[in-house]
Amino acid sequence: MSKRTITLILIVYLTIIWGAVIFRIDYFPLTWVPMYSVYEPSETISTSIKDKAAIKKGFRVTHRDGSISYVSYKDLNMPKPNFGRLYSAIIFGHDPPKHKQGNTSLGSINRWIRGLDDHERNFSVDWEWRMFWTINKTLRFEPGDPKFITRIESSHQKRVYKKADLLKGETRKVEIQTNTVVIDWQDQWVERWNHGLL
Amino acid sequence: MAFCKSINRIWNQFFFTGFSGASLGLLRMYIGIGLLFFHTYQFATVLTLNPIGAMYYFVEPICYFKLLGIQYHIPALSFVMYIILMYATVLMIAGKNTRTSILVIILCIFYLKGVRDSFSGDVHHRYIIPMQILFLFLLSKCGEVHSRDARQRHIHEGIQEWEASWPIKTMQLYVALFYIWSVIAKVRVSGWVWFAGEGRIQEVLIKRSVRWGVTDQGEVVKNGLSFELAQHPDLIQFFGILVLAFELGFPLLLLIKSVKLRLAFILGVTAFHISTFVLMDVNFLLIPFVYLIFFDLVPIHQWLKSRAWPLFRRGPSIAG
Repeated sequence: MSKRTITLILIVYLTIIWGAVIFRIDYFPLTWVPMYSVYEPSETISTSIKDKAAIKKGFRVTHRDGSISYVSYKDLNMPKPNFGRLYSAIIFGHDPPKHKQGNTSLGSINRWIRGLDDHERNFSVDWEWRMFWTINKTLRFEPGDPKFITRIESSHQKRVYKKADLLKGETRKVEIQTNTVVIDWQDQWVERWNHGLL
Repeated sequence: MAFCKSINRIWNQFFFTGFSGASLGLLRMYIGIGLLFFHTYQFATVLTLNPIGAMYYFVEPICYFKLLGIQYHIPALSFVMYIILMYATVLMIAGKNTRTSILVIILCIFYLKGVRDSFSGDVHHRYIIPMQILFLFLLSKCGEVHSRDARQRHIHEGIQEWEASWPIKTMQLYVALFYIWSVIAKVRVSGWVWFAGEGRIQEVLIKRSVRWGVTDQGEVVKNGLSFELAQHPDLIQFFGILVLAFELGFPLLLLIKSVKLRLAFILGVTAFHISTFVLMDVNFLLIPFVYLIFFDLVPIHQWLKSRAWPLFRRGPSIAG
């Protein structure tokens, strides 16, 4: 390649990588480097309590035939940390960090490009449907099967501190919150079933 | 017209001068060695799975998996891809079928990263810089020096300075911009308050220190230093300004000619990444290996060959 060709390649390359920054494109290998950029001041600090036994046991699920069982990360053959995220965040409807970063402070130009209204989110995922899809599909249950999972339950605890207390070194003033979620299969989702997530 | 000439001169001076073919070949080798560790660290969780176990259907496939219609994980395939990835990386280090090896590495990373990040939709950014470096190696003539390709094809003339310089200089520019962009992102999303003593840094320090719980005596179980540091907003403010200065100042590294000054800067950045890992659990711990791009590796390689390598070759003496 000649120097001229390389110059052209470099101009195109620099344009693309800067374009990703300006238009907040975060699709690998392009990025606008949003890691840890979101700061929303809050008076409380909450952290999940890692309940190893509960994570090991997994989701409590109800099958179409009424039987109850548990689905663990081993059943799904997925990494434990990722299962932990499903167990204590995704099923509760909490977005992964990259979605939060992509949704926060999106400027007017970037909204316009994406065709988003003022309060419309850039990333919006129906996590309940995804949970049923992921777990049933992985375990090879189809909607008509008696073993098809129709209910998924999760429960986890959080420690909630007042930031002001922690900044005084006071760690004993803590509120333990137990969050429980029960999600049920909705029959109208059958239409989506064959399309999956695509 | 004079302005265009001046831009042209600066452009050529920056992108097309400064490195020899040997520098580029050695950089390929050493970055490849770093990648061997980096790959294993990054994909360790995927390698813990049962290769003949269930095929997991992703809850949030990464963007290119959606485009390609990849909805589930084939565990055995990930093991195969990992072996291919490591083999291709070794070939890249040796400079055997270099361009093909780099292309295979890129494809394997796309696949394995896609798998890892699709399990729960948590997309990580640790491969972005290495991927840019690999892409630039792919376009360059890095396989024509210090390589088996060069020996087998009897390439003796080497490569010219401009051909060796532009990929390395573009890598340097990308890394420098990466740090600048992270400032832009923080200011865009959260404003300057991000850098305040009672801003994001303090929040992460507290969160990461209490996440493992507290003892009966009220002391945090882990990360006591983070908790202690969080009590000192003035100190955090100082660190916040330091982070801002070093991220905004990163491009200055491109202008520093003194190797010692450059080394001092890079050691500072490395210390920053180690501290954020220890205190805040921000996992960019292994990324400093890419900073090799800021040095001409020819003298370092010579030194290793003449001083360090003989120590390993001497071998243990047989007692008795």
